[in-house]
Amino acid sequence: MITAHSLTKRYGDSTAVDHLTFEVPSGEVTGFLGPNGSGKSTTMRMVMGLDLPDSGSALIGGRRYADLAWPLREVGALLDAKAFHPARTARNHLKWLALANDIPTRRVDEVLEEVGLTSVANRRVGKFSLGMTQRLGIAAAIIGDPAVLLFDEPVNGLDPEGIRWVRHFLRGLAAQGRTVFVSSHLISEMSLTADRLVVIGRGRLIAETSVADFVARSGGGAVRLVTPDGAAFVPAIHTAGGSVEHEDGSLTVSGLTSQQLGDLAAAGGLRIYELTPITASLEDAFMALTQDDVEYRSTTVPETLTVGEDAGR
Amino acid sequence: MTTEILLDAPRGRYRATNVARAELSKIATLRSTAITAGIAVVACLLVTGLVSHAALHHLPGWYQGFDPTQESLTGMITVALAGGVLGAMLVTGEYASGTIRTTLAAAPRRPMLFAVKLAVTAVLTFVFCEVLSFASFYLGQVILSGGHAPHATLASSGAFRAVTMTGLVIALLTLMSFGFGMIFRSTAAAIAAFVGVVFVLPLVIHGISEAAVKYLPTNILTQSVMATVPQAPPGGGDPNMPLAPGVGLGLMVVYAAVAVAVGAVLFARRDA
Repeated sequence: MITAHSLTKRYGDSTAVDHLTFEVPSGEVTGFLGPNGSGKSTTMRMVMGLDLPDSGSALIGGRRYADLAWPLREVGALLDAKAFHPARTARNHLKWLALANDIPTRRVDEVLEEVGLTSVANRRVGKFSLGMTQRLGIAAAIIGDPAVLLFDEPVNGLDPEGIRWVRHFLRGLAAQGRTVFVSSHLISEMSLTADRLVVIGRGRLIAETSVADFVARSGGGAVRLVTPDGAAFVPAIHTAGGSVEHEDGSLTVSGLTSQQLGDLAAAGGLRIYELTPITASLEDAFMALTQDDVEYRSTTVPETLTVGEDAGR
Repeated sequence: MTTEILLDAPRGRYRATNVARAELSKIATLRSTAITAGIAVVACLLVTGLVSHAALHHLPGWYQGFDPTQESLTGMITVALAGGVLGAMLVTGEYASGTIRTTLAAAPRRPMLFAVKLAVTAVLTFVFCEVLSFASFYLGQVILSGGHAPHATLASSGAFRAVTMTGLVIALLTLMSFGFGMIFRSTAAAIAAFVGVVFVLPLVIHGISEAAVKYLPTNILTQSVMATVPQAPPGGGDPNMPLAPGVGLGLMVVYAAVAVAVGAVLFARRDA
């Protein structure tokens, strides 16, 4: 379990992380969300003892990272894709890591196999593609078979194939009962991987909740309806307490479930060509919650507001 | 919920020996380290060979005050430069590549990590510099004696002291550069600081106060430590007289210690 208590980090006048308190329970995947520069990376670095907090604490299983007996056997982290000397081979990088925590060197080949880098094990890391580097970072994170894993933007910059692989891998780690704390700017990614969410904006906690709750809290879903009998359908929807928005060729119905719409259609003898529940995406929920906390916002075209990669500090 | 954690952790906690093994592995798996060391060996022996050879076939009067030991250690100046580059790069290479964060993840007790890094660097450079210092001495003496010029053996007055101390002082220069690496965390800045102190400062100080140059690392190395023949009458009150070898060595220890200590404090306190 990871616990942050009133964690605070300042850089000069700006406060990167502001009295942040949250918990990452054991054996679950907790997603860490926040807009650009909201302090996610800084928080993770403080958990790892790389950045020193100005006040507050970040503990892993009740201990500071620096007090762990065998750090790599207890916590695995991928904070930075670029944390390898480019001139060293993948195998040699993992080898020194294993030596540092007295991890049997057979683990080097095991993890290389697990992440699919066996064939390039003796190649210099500097020649690796981003996807391969990311795999090596994950191999380094799991070399000590740790129960707690931290990933900062693990799918950042990966191609769809790589994203799929990382997603699959993280879920596999969680299925083994490990604690996974993962930040990602791909919010939709979180709905696929995370059980819980810690959402921050400008270094402050915005929400700490389950993914389902988070989505529900930000407003109910809508249903997309394609029907040739719109003229009869719309009044029926209004009568049933729903509201309708017209979009090119389809209706977006809110306030009614797709089940209720199906019943309406059956009762009125109305034809339905398409009926699609639109779940309020995690992204919408996220936008709704963080819109006041985005540090670098484009004021002219707010609809293009993106949650880009975390710029760190 | 079952947790499939397969590895059993050994008893206790990670030790300095674990970290030292990792650090040695890191050094051994970087070709740049071997290349720098190889260049240092070649450059050192080449310079010593050329300088010793140039000292042959002069008239007897030319050898007045000639110091065959100092002559045969000339090539070690190139080792000082290589040591300065290597000492800095062992640290800054990790910062430039981001490896330092992985290192700290594996060994987060910073004072221990610093001590191990320092010890590994100190032992390796000390052994390397001593071996090379003896090699340079022997090469020089073989050339000098072969050309019937005045030459020395390790039994000659001050020769053994000069050879061993030269290696030691260059190892200390390397540690000073290691300290610069920890302070600046950038290869360019650390090497600039080293070159500034060792190769530029003497020129600047010389223009300000000739008597002060004897306190500089360069002069300690080339005048106090490498030489066996005093270059001015002892006790003559000449303020430009080099420091005695022991005093020079002591001062060099202080210089290296200051750079390393500042580096250690910053390493322990700064965000990685």
